[in-house]
Amino acid sequence: MAGDATAQEKLFALREQIARLEGRPVPALAAAEQGMLAREPERTAKSNELRLSFGIPELDAALEGGLPMDGITEIRSRLSRDAGALSGFALALAARLQRQEEGEGLACAPILWIGDAASMQEAGVPYGIGLLQFGLRPETFLYAAPRKLSEALWLAETAVASGALGVTILEIRGNPAHFGLAESRRLALRAKAAGRPLFLLRHAGEEEASSALFRFLAEPAPASKRRLPDGSMLGGSIGQPSFRLILEKSRNPAPLSFLLEWNAHDRQFLPAERTGIPFPFGNEPAHSLPRLPASSDRSHRPPEMGAVLALDRAS
Amino acid sequence: MRLTALDEAAERIGLKRGQGLAEARAMHPGIDVVEENQTADRSILEALADWCDRYTPLVALDGRNGLFLDITGCAHLFGGERALLDDALSRLFLMGFDVRGAISGSPGLSWATCRFGRGGVIANEDMRKMLAPLPVASLRIDEITVASLQKLGLKQVGDLLAMPRAPLARRFGAHVLLRLDQALGSSEEPVSPRRPVPCLSSERRLAEPIQTEESILQVTHQVAALLKPGLEARGAGGRIFELVLFRVDGRVFRIQAGASRPLRDAGRIAGLFSERLKAVHDDLDAGFGFEILRLNVLEHEAFDASQKDFEGNGQRETSLAEFVDRVSARLGAASLQCFQLRESHVPERAVVSVPAMEIRSIGKREAKAFAFPGGDRPLRLFPHPERVEAVAAEVPDGPPFRFRWRRMMHEVLHAEGPERISPEWWHDEEAAAERDYFRLEVGTGHRLWVYRNGHYELERPPNWFIHGVFA
Repeated sequence: MAGDATAQEKLFALREQIARLEGRPVPALAAAEQGMLAREPERTAKSNELRLSFGIPELDAALEGGLPMDGITEIRSRLSRDAGALSGFALALAARLQRQEEGEGLACAPILWIGDAASMQEAGVPYGIGLLQFGLRPETFLYAAPRKLSEALWLAETAVASGALGVTILEIRGNPAHFGLAESRRLALRAKAAGRPLFLLRHAGEEEASSALFRFLAEPAPASKRRLPDGSMLGGSIGQPSFRLILEKSRNPAPLSFLLEWNAHDRQFLPAERTGIPFPFGNEPAHSLPRLPASSDRSHRPPEMGAVLALDRAS
Repeated sequence: MRLTALDEAAERIGLKRGQGLAEARAMHPGIDVVEENQTADRSILEALADWCDRYTPLVALDGRNGLFLDITGCAHLFGGERALLDDALSRLFLMGFDVRGAISGSPGLSWATCRFGRGGVIANEDMRKMLAPLPVASLRIDEITVASLQKLGLKQVGDLLAMPRAPLARRFGAHVLLRLDQALGSSEEPVSPRRPVPCLSSERRLAEPIQTEESILQVTHQVAALLKPGLEARGAGGRIFELVLFRVDGRVFRIQAGASRPLRDAGRIAGLFSERLKAVHDDLDAGFGFEILRLNVLEHEAFDASQKDFEGNGQRETSLAEFVDRVSARLGAASLQCFQLRESHVPERAVVSVPAMEIRSIGKREAKAFAFPGGDRPLRLFPHPERVEAVAAEVPDGPPFRFRWRRMMHEVLHAEGPERISPEWWHDEEAAAERDYFRLEVGTGHRLWVYRNGHYELERPPNWFIHGVFA
């Protein structure tokens, strides 16, 4: 019996340690809080304050309320030509954050965009009027293009730690060796301390272990048509931008895929209709498997089970 | 080749400036000749001028081998004029320079006594007496005038002083009299300093030289605290600061740091320099240490005292300013940019980037309302529009169906446009073409902003460019 009790205690201590590492409330405290919640339901609103919600129930449920306001969220693209969708999605999130702040009656905190020289060559620099039309306020937009990765990381760390910026967006190309788990852990701790989010945009990047709580894969999706006043659609027009998102890293057992449309005027996401024709080429579906199993006695054998499960994904 | 400068030993054996090199070699085969390097001479003179900043901020270069120091109001800091001169001359002598120095009421007389007299400190009432026995060349007048004066037997300045002024002016020009008056101090001669004089400065002289970055910052903090009363008296805060570090061996380092809003607080001023020191880390060679630290305020602005509101919004603004200052100090002011909108039809002119340092309040909406273009603008714009090739487009002014960009064929699914943007004739030359912009959605999922430069012509098909990327 005594041994059982010590084992229990040890287990409990380990759980606490894990919770502390992950930045979640310690289980004992969480249980106490649950009890409080049952008695005072209005406290729920307070616990959601540190989350940036998408305004779409399914997605918010998958994210446990929304993106963390005190941590890193990684958004990556598979190809560097998807830079438009990647930056569009990140900026849409920033616009939602500004909207949330305005709703609370706070002054709008500026957004810092830390660009990357190669991505600037590839996709251009953020454009003031475009930002305005996208739902952001260009006068609250700061832009930096450091020459070296070390400078960019220093800048991101200073920005997040200062707490003066609404959101810091760090653009990175691929998976540089100097930006690994240790660096992202450091940024995550700074964000945690200051209570300010950092969006990490990884152009043409692989999945990699990082301290980001969530990771999205962003791809462009066919834009909706322009809506006419009578409710019909204008044929052949290009309306609101759409993104195909795959929530690759989260507490959910499997990656989730969403199709979202951004309404810049209302600064909100809408679930897009899946009726739009998919792009004819260049975009393979996210986790593709061979339709027919290959014969088992040839050199081209079907993959082992472990490869299909999320085991090789480093997160 | 001629001799331009001589050392003491060469003067003693009878060589002269301006003598031919061959002649000198013939007289004294053993002499050691070094080719003149004017830029090196100049840079050592400038380094010396920097070093002399320790005595006064008003240091001017004089020709190729002299320095003027305006020590008005500085001498008492060093225990009087005599002590100042002795201190400067002995320090320079120990550094290995052969120096003469004089202190007098006018730059002209100091120049003359240094070169032709015995130097030293000359009291105002002795100026005439000291000048009289010097040769006329000591008046800084050109050689031809000197030669003609000497021909007339006017060998010493005293001879000129005794002459009536009008005939002298008629014979040799007003220049000679001006120089004479300047030497006597009756006509003002301004000394133009090399560097702008700081509006405020404070310094500390250290008994023990310091080397480490931490101790430099610590002393900077103390010196910055000394600046505060001066800034408060003016109701101002500093925008640009300069830290001057005097190394024991005479080298002087200047480090500038700017602030995005006027500063008074010593801690934040020191904070600016802590980032700058990290940035210049490799260039700052502490050697055997720094003996004097001076902090100058090069630019200041009215300091509006602000009170925090209850929500703490003021707090966020100061920390934003602090962040901008830190980044600008470390990576340069141009590293952090803000967008400002301009009224222009041409997309690349409608937005200008301004260093965040120069914007007083980031996030404040501009008072002026602009009429923005109605058409959709891309989220990211290429600094230079990229040329696309092999365009199949509807003629004469329809959207493209297919084009090649970055070695890839793109199939256009949807197109919107055209939006015609005319060049601004008041900026562009007449030849600038009209652009027809289209929004395209291509097969790979890109949404692109494409334009045709100019109208369609049969014999000369127009060029197409990609100007931006939509979300």
